[in-house]
Amino acid sequence: MANVVVWIVWIVAAFSCLASGVAVISFTNPFYSALALIGNLASLAVLYLLLSAEFVAAGQVLVYAGAVMVMFLFVTAYLGGRADAPWAGGPSWQQFGAVLAAGAILVEVIVVIGLKAGGRLSHEAKIDSGFGSPHRIGEVFLTDHLLAFEITSIVLLIAAVGAVILGAHSRRRPDTTGELIHEREVHAGP
Amino acid sequence: MIVAAWICLVAPLAAALLITLLGNSISRRVAGYVATASVLGSFAAAVVVLAKLWSEAPGDRSHASTAWEWLTAGSFHVGLRILVDPLSVFMMLIVSGVGFLIVAYSIGYMDGDNEERRYFAYMALFVFSMLLLVQAGNLVILLAGWGLVGLSSYLLIGFWHDRPPAVAAAKKAFIMNAIGDATMALAFFLLIQHRQSLNFPDAFAVGPGHGWLVNLVALGLLGGAIAKSAQIPLQTWLPDAMEGPTPVSALIHAATMVTAGVYLIVRTHAVFEQAPRVLELAAGLGAGTLLMAGLIALVQTDIKRVIAYSTMSQIGYMFLGAGLGAYGSAMFHLMTHAFFKALLFLAAGLVIHALAGEQDIRKMGGVGRLMPVTRITFLIGSLALVGVPPFSGFFSKDSIIAASLSRGWYGAILFTVALIGTFLTGLYAFRLYLIVFPGEPSPFVREHLMRDSHAAGMEGAHATGESAHEVHEHTGEGPFSMTAPVIVLAVLAVVGGWIQFAPLWHPVSDWLDPVAPPLAVPSNTQEALASLFAVLLGLAGIGVAWLIYGAKRLRVPKLAFSQRLLEHKFYFDEAYDAAFYRPAVWLAKGLGRWIEGPIIGGSIREITAAFREAGLDTSRIQTGLVRTYALAIAASLAVITIVFVAVR
Amino acid sequence: MRGPDIAWYLAVAAFLFATGALGVLLRRSPLIILLSLEIMLNGGNLALIAFSRLHGESSGQIFALAVMAVAAAEVVVGLGLIVAIAQKKLDLDVDKLSFLRG
Repeated sequence: MANVVVWIVWIVAAFSCLASGVAVISFTNPFYSALALIGNLASLAVLYLLLSAEFVAAGQVLVYAGAVMVMFLFVTAYLGGRADAPWAGGPSWQQFGAVLAAGAILVEVIVVIGLKAGGRLSHEAKIDSGFGSPHRIGEVFLTDHLLAFEITSIVLLIAAVGAVILGAHSRRRPDTTGELIHEREVHAGP
Repeated sequence: MIVAAWICLVAPLAAALLITLLGNSISRRVAGYVATASVLGSFAAAVVVLAKLWSEAPGDRSHASTAWEWLTAGSFHVGLRILVDPLSVFMMLIVSGVGFLIVAYSIGYMDGDNEERRYFAYMALFVFSMLLLVQAGNLVILLAGWGLVGLSSYLLIGFWHDRPPAVAAAKKAFIMNAIGDATMALAFFLLIQHRQSLNFPDAFAVGPGHGWLVNLVALGLLGGAIAKSAQIPLQTWLPDAMEGPTPVSALIHAATMVTAGVYLIVRTHAVFEQAPRVLELAAGLGAGTLLMAGLIALVQTDIKRVIAYSTMSQIGYMFLGAGLGAYGSAMFHLMTHAFFKALLFLAAGLVIHALAGEQDIRKMGGVGRLMPVTRITFLIGSLALVGVPPFSGFFSKDSIIAASLSRGWYGAILFTVALIGTFLTGLYAFRLYLIVFPGEPSPFVREHLMRDSHAAGMEGAHATGESAHEVHEHTGEGPFSMTAPVIVLAVLAVVGGWIQFAPLWHPVSDWLDPVAPPLAVPSNTQEALASLFAVLLGLAGIGVAWLIYGAKRLRVPKLAFSQRLLEHKFYFDEAYDAAFYRPAVWLAKGLGRWIEGPIIGGSIREITAAFREAGLDTSRIQTGLVRTYALAIAASLAVITIVFVAVR
Repeated sequence: MRGPDIAWYLAVAAFLFATGALGVLLRRSPLIILLSLEIMLNGGNLALIAFSRLHGESSGQIFALAVMAVAAAEVVVGLGLIVAIAQKKLDLDVDKLSFLRG
């Protein structure tokens, strides 16, 4: 009985994951794309829960959907109509090549994992109840992977500083660079 | 003695360098004095060497001295080696003695020329080169001297370099000499390979059983000799070389450089004697040249060209003598020829100088009345040339003619040709004399020589003064600095022959005997026979010339064909032009059009264009679009995955 | 509890990754590209979590958290860039922003 429930949940979550993923890349309006991404993130959180990664699921919703996507939505709102760029254009082989490359990557990943894994994908390890809990995560983060922890924090710091600088420059400097680029665009052309 | 020989060699070189380095800081006259003094010093040193050598026994008279060895390749060593032996001393004396007289003459002749210093530097360089040639102890140094005299000749023929004919003549002389240099070099390579040495006399002992090698070497040497001495077929440069100043013509193209070919044959006679056919060829070429040159001289109208063809003819006699093995006679004739030919040239130079550079004899006439000294000296020279006793030519020429009698049928042909040559010599020499000197002065002469009412000839000192580029005029005789050498040469032309009278006393031949023993000595009857015929024919030539040009009793026969043939110098120039020059130009033009342009230039252009194309095509990858770059990354990822999987 | 094998999760992750790649390669708006990039990262995250569950190791989850942090940082900077571009009055079209064309 529980098995069936799990299966149903899994199917729903996986389906919405994929559907929202396709939706993100299909909508022309970036606002809709961002909303689709939020749906994607939520489905992923469900899948994480099914994989006994509670803390990561919570973090996903809080950080990704809660903070990152909100930021996205703010910027999209700020940019307004300018954010809608059409689909088509570019070199003729771009679309064909893109589909081919993406398809190739998909096939390869599946094939490689299938080849290398042998039959081991079916034998999940036995886990205890503390697996995936904040306690466990914190323990491992601060002992085995302390370096990753520290470096991650530095990366966040750098990103924050960078954002401030980018913002500050775009406010203070006069717009000569933009004019120069516009000029070049007019004269040179693609 | 060795020191004196080195001084003799180096003095003119030092003078040339000194004049060059001092440049404008010395006056032009002083440059002339420096050059003259150096050549006089050479002559004095040569006399010292002669004295020392004479005091030795004939068998010991060979000394070599090597300054340093500058080329070593395996067992082949070449050094700066000079050789003092009877032959080289003989030539040293002639070169430096006659050279001194001519350089002294040049002081007056070239006075006023803007580039006088350059002239004297070149003259000194030439004397050094010629001395290097005759004093060389091995064939390499001889070749060095050979090349340097060619260079000096080129520089001096083209001395008045703003005159295109002079420049063209200089080039022609140099190029024809270069042909001879090439054949000589090839001969030297063969000798090096065979003998591993080019020293005298080691290089010559080729030994029996190498017939083709010796013949090739001899042919190569002969090629160089005929180029330098203007014999058939490389003779066309000599008449053109008269574009140079008259003293240059006297020194280089009469007395010394053109005789270098004869010297070479005598020096390397050991090789030639092992290739007797080549020796006979040399004699034949000499005979042919003397005949041809004598004929051409009959129709020349330029005073210097007549004397030039005479030179060509007389060197033909020397080649004839050397080719017959009469080395002593050939060298003796070389000596007397140096005297009277230089005399003729310098006397002609006096006339040219007095007539403001005019050289066409049709405008001259009656010069003798206004320039008596010149007339007498020219007459002496002409008589010596024809070989009238007791002048010097008689004693030297007849021995050569007599030597041909001992060679069977071939010798008989040569004998006949040589005798015809003497007739022609008398004819053209006195044609020249009689047109220019005796009789009433022509209007042209009158105009140039009878200004300022200095009529009836003035001999003696006459101040020179004007500084103009061209030859300036005098009334009457030339300046003392010019007439004095002429007079000295005239005396030598008279008495120079008395040093050897073949049947009775022959110190010259004896002197040269250890170095170059003759192949056959004519008997007294042969000598007498030859002399008799030669003198008779010479006098007959003079007589005919007098009848035509002097007494005007006979008219020159109007043979149009032969007239044209002679005036075009037997069409040698035209033949060479068609055979060598035209094809070369055609080939060069063809190559330029078909190979240089399309293939060589085109290939380079193609290569650069291809590279530019490749660069442009490669730059198309830089689209500037982020998406294409991302696509490239994705595609590479796909490919690399496959690679990793396949490799593992 | 049972459920699908890990292989299924991995298949979903692969699909997500490919979908994100397609979005990056095909869209012209920088915003959408950034969103597609997020999808790719999430696909990777899902694979990490799945493997972590397979082996019973927590390292996978740690890694996934680090990826999340880095993704956040990257979005910050990316959005900052996009805003800066917009401030210069340039078109937000990746094909038009080709000034580094060779």
